[in-house]
Amino acid sequence: MADENDNERMDDNQKSDKMFTLKKWNAVAMWSWDVECDTCAICRVQVMDACLRCQAESKKDSYGKQDCVVVWGECNHSFHYCCMSLWVKQNNRCPLCQQEWSIQRMGK
Amino acid sequence: MSDTTNRRPNFSNVPQNGINRNVNVLSIKPTTAKKLVIKNLKSEPKLPEDYIEQTWKKLKSAVLAIQQAKPNEYQLEELYQAVENLCNHKMAPILYQKLHNLTEQHVAQNIEQFLAESMDRYLFLKKMNNTWLAHCNQMIMVRSIFLYLDRTYILQNHVSSIWDMGLELFGKYILLNALVQTRVVEGLLMLIEKERQGDQVDRSLLKSLLRMLTDLQIYRKAFEHKFLQATERLYAAEGQRLMQELEVPDYLTHVDKRIAEENERVLHYLDPGTKYQLIHTVEKQLLREHVSQILQKGLDQLLTEFRLNDLNLLYDLLSRVKNGLAQLCSSFNAYIKKRGRTIVIDPEKDKTMVQELLDFKDAMDNVVSTCFHKNERFSNSLKEAFEHFINQRTNKPAELIAKFVDSKLRAGNKEATEEELERLLDKIMVLFRFIHGKDVFEAFYKKDLAKRLLVGKSASVDAEKSMLSKLKQECGGGFTSKLEGMFKDMELSKDINQAFKQHTTVNSRDLPQIEMTVSILTMGYWPTYQPMEVTLPDQMVRLQDVFKEFYLSKHSGRKLQWQPTLGHCVLKASFRTGLKELVVSLFQTLVLLLFNDSNELTFEYIKEVTNIEDGELRRTLQSLACGKARVLVKIPKGRDIQDDDHFRFNSDFTNKLFRIKINQIQMKETTEEQKATEERVFQDRQYQIDAAIVRIMKMRKTLSHNLLISELYIQLKFPVKPPDLKKRIESLIDRDYMERDKDNPNQYNYVA
Repeated sequence: MADENDNERMDDNQKSDKMFTLKKWNAVAMWSWDVECDTCAICRVQVMDACLRCQAESKKDSYGKQDCVVVWGECNHSFHYCCMSLWVKQNNRCPLCQQEWSIQRMGK
Repeated sequence: MSDTTNRRPNFSNVPQNGINRNVNVLSIKPTTAKKLVIKNLKSEPKLPEDYIEQTWKKLKSAVLAIQQAKPNEYQLEELYQAVENLCNHKMAPILYQKLHNLTEQHVAQNIEQFLAESMDRYLFLKKMNNTWLAHCNQMIMVRSIFLYLDRTYILQNHVSSIWDMGLELFGKYILLNALVQTRVVEGLLMLIEKERQGDQVDRSLLKSLLRMLTDLQIYRKAFEHKFLQATERLYAAEGQRLMQELEVPDYLTHVDKRIAEENERVLHYLDPGTKYQLIHTVEKQLLREHVSQILQKGLDQLLTEFRLNDLNLLYDLLSRVKNGLAQLCSSFNAYIKKRGRTIVIDPEKDKTMVQELLDFKDAMDNVVSTCFHKNERFSNSLKEAFEHFINQRTNKPAELIAKFVDSKLRAGNKEATEEELERLLDKIMVLFRFIHGKDVFEAFYKKDLAKRLLVGKSASVDAEKSMLSKLKQECGGGFTSKLEGMFKDMELSKDINQAFKQHTTVNSRDLPQIEMTVSILTMGYWPTYQPMEVTLPDQMVRLQDVFKEFYLSKHSGRKLQWQPTLGHCVLKASFRTGLKELVVSLFQTLVLLLFNDSNELTFEYIKEVTNIEDGELRRTLQSLACGKARVLVKIPKGRDIQDDDHFRFNSDFTNKLFRIKINQIQMKETTEEQKATEERVFQDRQYQIDAAIVRIMKMRKTLSHNLLISELYIQLKFPVKPPDLKKRIESLIDRDYMERDKDNPNQYNYVA
């Protein structure tokens, strides 16, 4: 299969006078949460890492982090979702700006 | 009979039946008995008057005949009877006394011959032996004649038996005579010494005479002590001499031979009771006195030359000596530390360090298991020594072990089968266990793993996973969670790429015909890379944007940062000689693509258009124009890239292969990279030190400097120097986490 494809493309290339043609590209990209401040103000852990609670639990399961996503409020402040969901039970305001807390979007 | 026949009909009438039987029994007994009366003799029978004299004469002549080895004129039976008669007539004491005198005379006579001056020692011994054997034979015969005496009178009266009497007299006259005794003992010692010097001697003579001494109960007193002294002298001198003359292995062989000889000596002629002291003396003089010298002089050589048999012998011999093994063990330990240090400490040997360590470990393990009987003390000491010397050089061994693993896990490493690789990894883990600063290993391992995964150079996923599980087992999940995250990222990337492929075929917005795959890395799992902006050709930018849009639509709240240093591509290249496929780094791609528009370009131009960082670009150009596969021609020629260099497309490029890999530079570690990784580890360590200090101070509230330092050493798992700790404490004081006590400058207070 692959060889056939190669041959076809080779024919294409011979027609063109280009010396080099890009055939395959393996790019690398790093993702991180699109946040203004990279530490969670509630647990003081970087939002890219799991929050303190999840870290403690995920000692048994090293992939525990997946579930520890980030949440953005309307005020554009961001926290660990786990941290914020505990926070709002006591005080439904953003810990940073005291605005009424409502979720703008969740990390996925 | 009638009884039994009657019993059945009268079964119910038991008493009557019994009476009947009694009557029957009585009737059988005789009714009358005759009396037998024994009366005294009227006159006592008497022995003839001269019976004693006559009988003794007989016996005396018999004993003399025996002593002179002449034929006996009387029947033995008759003589025996005579002895019995005399004993029965209470003549035993007289008889015993007479026999005693007779024997004494004979033995006393015998002594004469041994007092003569200047007799050859050997002849003397021979003669002594003959006399002794004759004496024994005589006494046996005498005893058989006087057996009755031996059995009755002697048993009842606690005097020495005839045999013992013979021995006592023999001892008294012949051997308790100082001159004779010395001559015998010295003769014996001379013979033994002769044998020790390697001569053949008459062992049966020795045995017989030593038996004589034992029988006379003077073995211990007269012989053993002198013998042991002579032994001690001999071997003390021999030990001193041979330690100087011989190489240690030869010396050991000699000692082993000596011990075997002495054991044989005990077996053949010495009294078994001497064995312990004799062997002990030999061991003491040949071994114990020289243990430290043997170890000092020979152990290193034996270990270096890996002479297993000699080592085994050494172990066996030293295990005979008190504290011998302890000394061997500590010398062994010292050797490993010394030798190990030379492997570890020299930066020149960094390239081969890990392999040498593995070989060294193998060799020493082998020594412990084959030569040292798997003695636990030695294997523990071995571990301790390795741990000690490997940490003599901080950080570098950890780094090199990580790199060694990388070289083994990389694709193209075809030297090992899977099982061999697995075994090798196990061995590496043993070394890893000794390392104190495991964070250094982690950092370098992670950096290399990242490259293997991203550039697609990992030899086998199984081997990678196996190594990971080993690390996890060793250091726990915390250590490996990020490494595992990296593998997870690679798998997720595969899914995303598949989805992206589908996405592009459905919405084919006349995208460039480039097969694009993207590795999406989670920040935090992977090593941090310097962000680098480069200018990509339009079609690549477009593709990149499409992917980004696609990815962010799937994952909200994320941002992507492209990492051009790690990208790699496959280029089709048409040379005059034909088509080739080049596997190249992204940077190499960017440079090569420029040559589609122009045949010759300047360094400055390439730099301006691609926007690749200066050093990186120089390396890239070097790999293309000065490496093995020269796709470009550098003008002028030379290894280093200068600012005013020109580059031309090498249309005459030839290569046997169709697919040519030129992206090795991506796998290669640059010095900056190495420095950066090291730097990051040190940075992390500072945070850990800070955290540990604050943790301790928070718990203790106040603490003296020394106590704080010692607690820190317990908590911190990597090597640190006290000045570094001091710096961190200063820094924390500056940042108001703690303060120096106002009255006592050596004390700190926690500041809440």
